[in-house]
Amino acid sequence: MPLNIDIQQILLHMLNFVILFAVGYFLLYNPIKKFMDKREKYYSDMDEEAEKKLSDSEKLRADYEEKLKELNSETERIKSDTLTEARAKADEMIKDAKAEASDIISSARAQGEAEKNDIIRSASDEIRELARSTAEKLITSENEDEYNKFLKSVEEADNGENE
Amino acid sequence: MSKKRRIVSIVVFAVIFAALLVGIVLTSGASPASEEPIGEVMKDAVLHETGKINLLGIRINPGLVSAFSVSGIMILFALIIRIFVIPKFKLKPGRFQFLLEKAVGLFDGLAKENSPHKSHFIGGYIFSAGAYIFFSTLFELFGFQAVTVTGRPISLPAPLSDINGAIAMGVFSYGVILIGGLINNGFKGMFNALKDFSLPISMSFRLFGALLSGALVTELVYYYSLTSYVIPVLVGVLFTLLHAVIQAYVLTMLVSIFYGESSEPSRKKKRGKKI
Repeated sequence: MPLNIDIQQILLHMLNFVILFAVGYFLLYNPIKKFMDKREKYYSDMDEEAEKKLSDSEKLRADYEEKLKELNSETERIKSDTLTEARAKADEMIKDAKAEASDIISSARAQGEAEKNDIIRSASDEIRELARSTAEKLITSENEDEYNKFLKSVEEADNGENE
Repeated sequence: MSKKRRIVSIVVFAVIFAALLVGIVLTSGASPASEEPIGEVMKDAVLHETGKINLLGIRINPGLVSAFSVSGIMILFALIIRIFVIPKFKLKPGRFQFLLEKAVGLFDGLAKENSPHKSHFIGGYIFSAGAYIFFSTLFELFGFQAVTVTGRPISLPAPLSDINGAIAMGVFSYGVILIGGLINNGFKGMFNALKDFSLPISMSFRLFGALLSGALVTELVYYYSLTSYVIPVLVGVLFTLLHAVIQAYVLTMLVSIFYGESSEPSRKKKRGKKI
């Protein structure tokens, strides 16, 4: 054949290359490619997991922030309620104290009045007794008419006071 | 290394280099290193009509011996790597693991880019084809010797500088594209590949021409003793390296592009409703 082309040698070259191709494909290309794919998958899984964890943590953070916000508003509300309640209680206590103080004062006044009356009465009795004893002393020492007159005047005075 | 020592080394090297050059010019002139005329040498490099090798009773071109040798070495290395290296692969790769992954990733990327619908098989194919073209082209640099049927020693060439090797590679690659189209797209895919019937010829002769030109230039440079001392380092090695990289890239890219075209799912035409 022209150019020294030989079909047998072409076929031998092909056979040689087929064997080489099979060896290269199954012994080198496939296992190395498989390893590379496996490593790529490993890193992409790792990346995906990290992304997922990041998104979860972001979500968790948002939840916590929401909860914290709710908690703060609840605390504020409780604080304000408590303050209002305490103020109302304090007002009531002040009112009660004022009423009690007023009662105490009025009862003290009444008691004072009664004591004053008692004192006046007892003073009147004492004066009367003193006058009687003085009159008796006078009667016994000078004359009985004068004494009677005096008694009569005292009795009249008593009656007038009682009326 | 100190500055003084470095200067001394450079001077010694320059003196040896100059002495060699002078010696070459004075002693040989432009005489041929071989007794065979240059035309005969280059014709033999192209056609291998006289420099045949006997292998198990079959007279074959030295390129086929090179192909078997390269494949044997590559298969041995592949086995060693599969048994001792790949099981010890780590998530954080070492240098050698990085190199292997880079090579696989390069061809896998090329396959995915040019044949996005079906890329796994063609990725494996172009990986093997690329590695074969690259290492088999570099093989000629080692200058392994063989004995021809006439008893003359011959330096084993790159397998693809033998036209039979180049045709085998081109036709086999075309077959892969054709079968790929048939499997993935049925007869439509196969016909899609068949319309590029010139592809096996262009791929074969591109490989053959590129590698042969390198071989011829090297033959030419080695033929005259005047040019066979320093120039081959630049011409032979650099040309071979460039051919190895460029041809491996060109063939793998072409195969992946045509495979991608033949295996691309056909788009169903949307029929507009008749009003």
